[in-house]
Amino acid sequence: MSLLEVRSLSKNFRGLAAISDVTFAIAEGTITSIIGPNGAGKSTMFNLITGYLAPTAGEVRFKERRITGLATNRIAELGIARAFQIARPFRDLSVFDNVRIGALFGKAGPRDVEATTWRAMELASIAPLAELPASALTVGQLRHLEVARAIATRADLLLADEPCAGLNPTETAAMIDVLRQVRSNGVTVVLVEHDMPSVMEVSDRLLVLDAGRLIADGPPSVVANDPKVIAAYLGTPDAA
Amino acid sequence: MKRNPKLIAAVVALAVVLLAAGPTFLPPFYVRVGQLMLYSAGLGLAWAILGGFAGYASFGHSAFIGIGAFTAGLVESQYSTLPPPLLLPLGLAAGALSCAILSAVIAYPILRLRGTFFAIAMLGVSHVGAEVTNNIDFFQGAMGLNFPPLAPAGMDPASFFYELFLAGALLTLLISWLIRRSRFGAGLLSIREDEDTARMLGVPTERYKRVAFVVSAVLTGLMGVIYAHSLGYITTDSVYRDDTNLSLIVYSLLGGMGTLFGPVIGAGLLVFITQVILGRLLDFHLFATGLLLVLLILMAPGGVNGLLNRKRRSA
Amino acid sequence: MDLIAQTLADGLVLGGIYALAAVGFSLIFGVLHVINLSHGILVLLGAYLALILSDALHIDPLLCIPPVMVALFCIGYVYQRLLIQRAVDRASVNSMLLTFGVALMLQNVMIWLFSPDMKNITPSYAFNSFKIGPVNFDAVRVSALIASLILLSVLAAFLRYSSMGRVIRATAQQTMAARLCGVNVRHVYALTFAVSAAFAGAAGIVIGIILPFSPNDEGTWTLNAFVVVVLGGVGSPAGALIGGLLLGLVSTLTAQYIGPAFPNVTMFLLLVLLLLVRPQGLLGNAFSASR
Repeated sequence: MSLLEVRSLSKNFRGLAAISDVTFAIAEGTITSIIGPNGAGKSTMFNLITGYLAPTAGEVRFKERRITGLATNRIAELGIARAFQIARPFRDLSVFDNVRIGALFGKAGPRDVEATTWRAMELASIAPLAELPASALTVGQLRHLEVARAIATRADLLLADEPCAGLNPTETAAMIDVLRQVRSNGVTVVLVEHDMPSVMEVSDRLLVLDAGRLIADGPPSVVANDPKVIAAYLGTPDAA
Repeated sequence: MKRNPKLIAAVVALAVVLLAAGPTFLPPFYVRVGQLMLYSAGLGLAWAILGGFAGYASFGHSAFIGIGAFTAGLVESQYSTLPPPLLLPLGLAAGALSCAILSAVIAYPILRLRGTFFAIAMLGVSHVGAEVTNNIDFFQGAMGLNFPPLAPAGMDPASFFYELFLAGALLTLLISWLIRRSRFGAGLLSIREDEDTARMLGVPTERYKRVAFVVSAVLTGLMGVIYAHSLGYITTDSVYRDDTNLSLIVYSLLGGMGTLFGPVIGAGLLVFITQVILGRLLDFHLFATGLLLVLLILMAPGGVNGLLNRKRRSA
Repeated sequence: MDLIAQTLADGLVLGGIYALAAVGFSLIFGVLHVINLSHGILVLLGAYLALILSDALHIDPLLCIPPVMVALFCIGYVYQRLLIQRAVDRASVNSMLLTFGVALMLQNVMIWLFSPDMKNITPSYAFNSFKIGPVNFDAVRVSALIASLILLSVLAAFLRYSSMGRVIRATAQQTMAARLCGVNVRHVYALTFAVSAAFAGAAGIVIGIILPFSPNDEGTWTLNAFVVVVLGGVGSPAGALIGGLLLGLVSTLTAQYIGPAFPNVTMFLLLVLLLLVRPQGLLGNAFSASR
């Protein structure tokens, strides 16, 4: 059973086909990265999966259940969490309280809230920051907080939107480590990312979007050598 | 909070005992000041459930004081033959019920407004309440409404109402405290910080806001009922007041917006300043409250609590 | 039929005056993005100043408009520059609270100086009226309306054609860009506020000749202005006119057909309805998103 299935998904914005007829399936316990040139439709993809946008055609299924057209918070309840590139922490609350909100209103039972919160913070490597107010964190730490808060909801699927954007190499490596830890803990991860070395290193599978179409789908080593992918990023020799 | 909860509980208990004993050793002037402090604290706490916790700062909460007071008065005058020990609970129940129903109805449209629009809409509610009460004879707002005397024989009325206000303030404090440490309270705080993100994390934001609104309205109404009885006779202007509207906000600003005891500290301070320090200058209370607010805004937007405690508040 | 014509006419006359009373508030909201809760008290300040002047000098109250506008212009400039700007620097709700505080302070001062009793400014032509067709027009109200329309046009012309008006509009739309073009934004803000205060004061005089007033009304005039802005849109005299006319009509129609106790109730319900359905007002926002 695939955790997430996208079937013939399309999205048009007044004539502009942002996503065209995309189909793929995500297996449980994997890290999949969606890559592609700018404007390829990666963020739109996430918006369609989480219900921010309604597709023009096609459907999305989560745990075998059709979720297209459901409200965002309903989809969140079903077990999909999203960590945003522009972090939105609860600034005046402590890190612990931030993550606790995720645990309180996610799928953890009332007795497990505290434990779930600590676990999420440990997985995201921010447990030492628990008492600090969120406003005191650096951008990198805030990204970790985003992830921690998302997984505290006990989501089965984490969609991470450019978690490494704007981070220096050390912070990027730390974030990648977090995603690995998250996967080891049974949460399936789908990333949108531009940082190619990290993507190649951490992903079980790559999906390549170009101008709204899925042009490659497979393990990193195969996809990286796919001429269509190379052409999409670098252009063909004739186009010089 | 890393402070010792047992210590805090002990301090609060001691404070309650001392406060309850107040009328026995305080001169009459201070008993009345005490009444006002406790009344204001209760109001401030009730306001803060919506304004401090959820971040929906109402600029018109005196509407509920008015609604509670007038409902109680009108209902009680229908049953004036009942003895006082039954009359007060009747008035309280009537006031609470009317506030509950009205706030539940208004909540749907008004909580869809955010920030400044919500604030002004509530100011509008307060003014409309005043208008309706004043202009429609049934409510007797212009003529005035009488309240039956309640104090048991042999007890000084001022002391009696002092204890009633204390009970009201304690009730509001208790409810605030319970909310603050509950899942509901955590949800409210997240709404204050970032309502959309809270929603995405699964917080039932619309429902929580409505509950906070109704609870806040009912508690305000209850305090209003006690207040009306303590005055004995009210008109529209006794209860629907812009300076009260403002003061409720100032209490939290002064004592620390969003904290548990903030409104209590703020109420105590403001009443102390206006009644004790400026006591003789009765005509200038509006001025004093306004001035205090202006100074506060210009100098310390976090409130006294914020000044003292730069480390941020945890849930 | 005559009654409805009269009611409509009264509504339009009142509406023009409401528009003037609201245009300052609208401008402040549109340019400084501040909700000025001391608007009502500035209106009343104009009324009281005119009362003093016209009693002392025995001149027609409408002639007091220029000096009162000058006085309020200066007061408004200083008020904004010294107080409101500081509050705005912190957080947006702070300016609301600050202006609310100042309103209470001034209200108290006025109660002390003038007593809370209702006052009136009575011009010499107070009891004249004339008829056009079936409709009666009261001379005072009509002159008030004419004054309002003239002042609104002056403001509209100023905003549209003068260089300072252009600067104000530019600052409202893109503050940062305006700064980068060398605009002294603080000065522009203070100037806008000063202009608004001046018009609020003028509105006070116009109101003072047709309605009784007291310091306790300040909240009503602020809320009135808010409703006009929500109805007609933020930031433009045209929006204020539309909003004002609508409000005037709603007021008189409600007073006539539902009951004299209800104009403000209807106004408030209208306010909430509009805030929910179309917060940018019927004409939309003249400058930028109001939320």
